[in-house]
Amino acid sequence: MTLLRGLGLHGGYGGRPVVRGVEIEVTEGRCVALLGPNGAGKTTLVRLLAGVLPAERGAVELLGRPLHAWRRREVAREVALVPQQVHFAFPLTVREVIEQGRAPHLGPWRPPGPEDHAAVAEAIARLDLAGLADAPVQRLSGGERQRVVLARALATRARVLLLDEPATALDLRHQLDLAATIGRLREEGVGAVVVVHDWNLALQIADELVVLQEGQVVAAGRPEETLRAELFSATFGVDVEILRGRDGRPVVVPRAASTAGA
Amino acid sequence: MRRRADVALAGLLLVAVAASLVVAVPGASTGEAFAALAGGGRPEVVTIVVGIRLPRLALALAVGAALALAGAALQALLANPLADPFLLGISGGGAAAATAAYALLPIAALGLIPAAAMAGAACATTVVWWMSRGPLGPSPTRMLLAGVAVNAATSALILTMLALAPSPRLAGALAITMGSFASASPDAVLWLLPYLLVPAVVLLHHGRDLGLLALGEESAAALGVELAAVRRTVFLAAAALCGGAVAFAGVIGFIGLVTPHLARLIWGMEPRRLFLRSALAGAALTALGDLLARRALAPVELPVGVVTAVLGVPFFVALLRRAP
Repeated sequence: MTLLRGLGLHGGYGGRPVVRGVEIEVTEGRCVALLGPNGAGKTTLVRLLAGVLPAERGAVELLGRPLHAWRRREVAREVALVPQQVHFAFPLTVREVIEQGRAPHLGPWRPPGPEDHAAVAEAIARLDLAGLADAPVQRLSGGERQRVVLARALATRARVLLLDEPATALDLRHQLDLAATIGRLREEGVGAVVVVHDWNLALQIADELVVLQEGQVVAAGRPEETLRAELFSATFGVDVEILRGRDGRPVVVPRAASTAGA
Repeated sequence: MRRRADVALAGLLLVAVAASLVVAVPGASTGEAFAALAGGGRPEVVTIVVGIRLPRLALALAVGAALALAGAALQALLANPLADPFLLGISGGGAAAATAAYALLPIAALGLIPAAAMAGAACATTVVWWMSRGPLGPSPTRMLLAGVAVNAATSALILTMLALAPSPRLAGALAITMGSFASASPDAVLWLLPYLLVPAVVLLHHGRDLGLLALGEESAAALGVELAAVRRTVFLAAAALCGGAVAFAGVIGFIGLVTPHLARLIWGMEPRRLFLRSALAGAALTALGDLLARRALAPVELPVGVVTAVLGVPFFVALLRRAP
């Protein structure tokens, strides 16, 4: 089932178009990895899909209904966004941050109930944060903060997850944990869009790759169909070697800045 | 811990109230002053305690609560612990408009001063917000600089209005810029109450939204906050609080900065708990500040803004040194 769909999406900031005519679909239980060089429009596309940035042209449909026909809080129950950066100006505890994930379900006045507490506890456990739950989030490292924000998104129990570079500050073990968590969420029917720079992580988690360049989709499809050495020289200006891991999965090894192409 | 802090806060309020009413009533002992509160004793003591001190105290409590609440709300809305109605020029905007109204309006229209102050505060808030916006939402540095600019503009405007004010109005116009509760009357307190109570209810209603906004706009929007609507409402509420405070007591700095900080240290970040405690603590601190302003150099009375600045400036410097 299609959960979230972007149709001919255009959007940007102050009249400067960043995303130009993107089609993208998030379906139940599938993960899309969004890749592309710096400045390709990945973050902007994720913001458009979450509805925090209004589209200039085109539309986003959530469960078949255009996003603007939904109230923001209803959208937030179905679509959880993990922004690239959250600015922690105040000394909240890890638990307080994660509890914010329940806000879309509570409205202005209802106090959290058993279901809310359960969702928060589950998110804390899933991201290995039990030992830090009462620590002030300002004291945490970059990777720990990233896990906290991810836990907040999981606490919403949304059906669509939009993750903007969730793995950049994670150590190897927590990257593996993240991949496993995304795998389990996928089995539970969650649809995800994950912005990543690490192709090998993308190949590990994604059912589909979407490659953006200058605001447009230059390649999209199943990983084995999309992964071509020419794509890397044309899009990233890099020569790569595509090897096979022991489990048969492709592994991308960058070799040198490309002499041909972009 | 929080329960004990609540008791301490109640105690502080009680001390502030009692001390403001009965300390150093001329020609009367503390016992006599207490008796006057109940309506007994010599009429001149009753006049001082009930007729002069009580409205002055009530105004100080209401203004202190309003400023602290405005500060707490602005800090959350702008995701910036350094936000303060005084530093951001919001009180200055209110004072400029109030001075202009006081200097220029006919006598019959002087009832409009609070509305003018509120409008001035709202304009200043809008300008600061517009100036401080960067690509990633409001930036703390730009915001403080915007406050500097707005404060410079409003003080120029205030000086112009003072120059233009006809001489019988000059003292009143000047009082707005000084910050003082000396002109308190029961009427003033009643007029101020809607400027305090309506915004307080509005801000409590948006408590959860403001808690989300404290982590930034994108993050709040993703969690279901209707950014534009909430921002507009909270700005208006903060402007009403500051405008009301300025119209009846003039510009008083740092209460809006210091109180929410102390309250956060003690009661944590949960917005509604924080707002209520900030308001009560702001009320108590302002009443004590006024007592200090009256007594520190007695018989000369200092403007209460001097006392809050003496206490607030070192606090602000410390915060600035700690800010990332």
